[in-house]
Amino acid sequence: MQLGFIGFGAMGGPMAEHLLRAGHALSVWSRRPESAAALVEQGAVRQASPAAVARHAGIVFTNVTGSADVEQLAFGAEGLAAGFVPGSLHVDFSTIAPAAARRIAERYAKQGVDFVDAPVSGGSGGAQNATLAIMWGGKAELAPRLRPLFDVLGKTIVHAGEAGAGQVAKACNQMVMVAAIEATAEAARLAAASGVDFSKVRAAMLGGSAGSRVLEVFGGRMALRDFAPGVEARLHHKDYALLMDEATRIGAALPVSAAVWQQLNALMGQGRGNNDSASLLRVLEACDGKGQAG
Amino acid sequence: MQVGFIGLGLMGRPMALHLEKAGHTLHLWARRPQSLAPFAAVNATTHATPAEVAKHAEVVIVMVADAPDVEAVCLGEQGLATGAAPGLIVADMSTIAPDAARRIGMRLAERGIEFVDAPVSGGESGAINAALTIMAGGKPEVFEKLRPLFEKMGKSATLIGGSGAGQVAKACNQILTGVGVMAVAEAFNFARKSGVDPARVREALLGGFAYSKILENHGQRMLDRNFNPGFKAWMHQKDLRIVMEEAHRLGLMLPSAAATAQVFNAMVGCGMGENDSVAALKLLEKMSGPE
Repeated sequence: MQLGFIGFGAMGGPMAEHLLRAGHALSVWSRRPESAAALVEQGAVRQASPAAVARHAGIVFTNVTGSADVEQLAFGAEGLAAGFVPGSLHVDFSTIAPAAARRIAERYAKQGVDFVDAPVSGGSGGAQNATLAIMWGGKAELAPRLRPLFDVLGKTIVHAGEAGAGQVAKACNQMVMVAAIEATAEAARLAAASGVDFSKVRAAMLGGSAGSRVLEVFGGRMALRDFAPGVEARLHHKDYALLMDEATRIGAALPVSAAVWQQLNALMGQGRGNNDSASLLRVLEACDGKGQAG
Repeated sequence: MQVGFIGLGLMGRPMALHLEKAGHTLHLWARRPQSLAPFAAVNATTHATPAEVAKHAEVVIVMVADAPDVEAVCLGEQGLATGAAPGLIVADMSTIAPDAARRIGMRLAERGIEFVDAPVSGGESGAINAALTIMAGGKPEVFEKLRPLFEKMGKSATLIGGSGAGQVAKACNQILTGVGVMAVAEAFNFARKSGVDPARVREALLGGFAYSKILENHGQRMLDRNFNPGFKAWMHQKDLRIVMEEAHRLGLMLPSAAATAQVFNAMVGCGMGENDSVAALKLLEKMSGPE
């Protein structure tokens, strides 16, 4: 199939490679040419603009940072919209505001183009191993076109609902995940402050009802004091601005998320945004003067 | 003085009338023509665009809802900037993000227009009684030119610092009033659920270190079950959104304000947005169940 791909970061790069290896023809564009060099070497065709990518492919995938980036790619000068024809499909893997996803979908609909918000969870490891969870929002009848492609990239594929529903699911994912990281950090703090080895506490908890993937992965990093990303905390921080803004817009109380958000703010204030989110432990350690160094 | 005034709502209307009463000539523009009706019999000229207002005024006062409105009035098509001669002074008395105020100030400065952020505290009654507290950010010499106007609308006007500083002070004000209202509501709910009369508790506390105007005034309204605004919950929600977005931008931890903002979210979500903020008590009661 003729596919397009734009956005080759830690997530997009390996995802594009999987599509290429599955035998699809891939048109690519990147702002900085070197970002797409590895893919071009493997057979992807470089295009001069997003519009040119859209002209060469019936389905274009994007994976960038924020709402504004996606809107710029879609509707900016020489954007995707300028190259799409009725029936074309834009699938965006980025994490953006649900309202922005709905806005983009509505704007595309006027020219007969479909838009699917399909944020992913699983980190760069999940992207490399094609084990991502993909939660998508858009018309249900697009499923047959999307499913075989998503299967190349992930192992849990869920149609969450209409346009924007994928982003709502992703917001829920981030809330549950980061709240669990904070709870893990607080457990680590309590154990250490009580003179108990957290790695033993963690080992015990993993076998019980509090066992979780976050306790395993982020708890493991905290036990080893390994704060290299992983997931850069600044990205979780960015996601919290989106979801708390959404909560304000719809009038929903999210008391725990609001508290976790403040811990992330403190983490940013301490200049640890490029560290892993396991650094939430170090925010707690900064409070009592008994914190471990580093 | 030739004074432009844009934003003639609950706050702006009485503020503009105070200026007219003090002998100034008003130049007005309003999105909705009916907002202009109260000015038919006074010394005021109506204009077709903000740009026209800017052409006729030495100072323009803006009192609108949020940052996008201020931007549209100042920098939009037919905005103040397109009609202003260099040296015009714009005083924005709306509550918006400090960052937005600085940005608008810089854009206006490029065209030689002076900008002061001057949000107010005191609510509708403060506006009607010319008893507002005005907190300003901008150049001292520009603030001094505005002072005679501010004195006709408020009982105190303070220059806090450079551009955006007035909005920072207003954000601090909203943290204190938001968290303060919540604290009183929590205390009263605590008393009620413990089988103790909140009115007696309030009376005792007014004599001690927990005394505050909020305990006195908002507390009384809670006891009277008077949830009419005052200051609407959705507006307090909006102001706390500004506070929390700024905290996010700065990497700043505001745990109490964050928790309070969630209660305001819930109030708006369950249809209490048009109530006064003191309706937070109703929400807490609903969530904690009967005695």
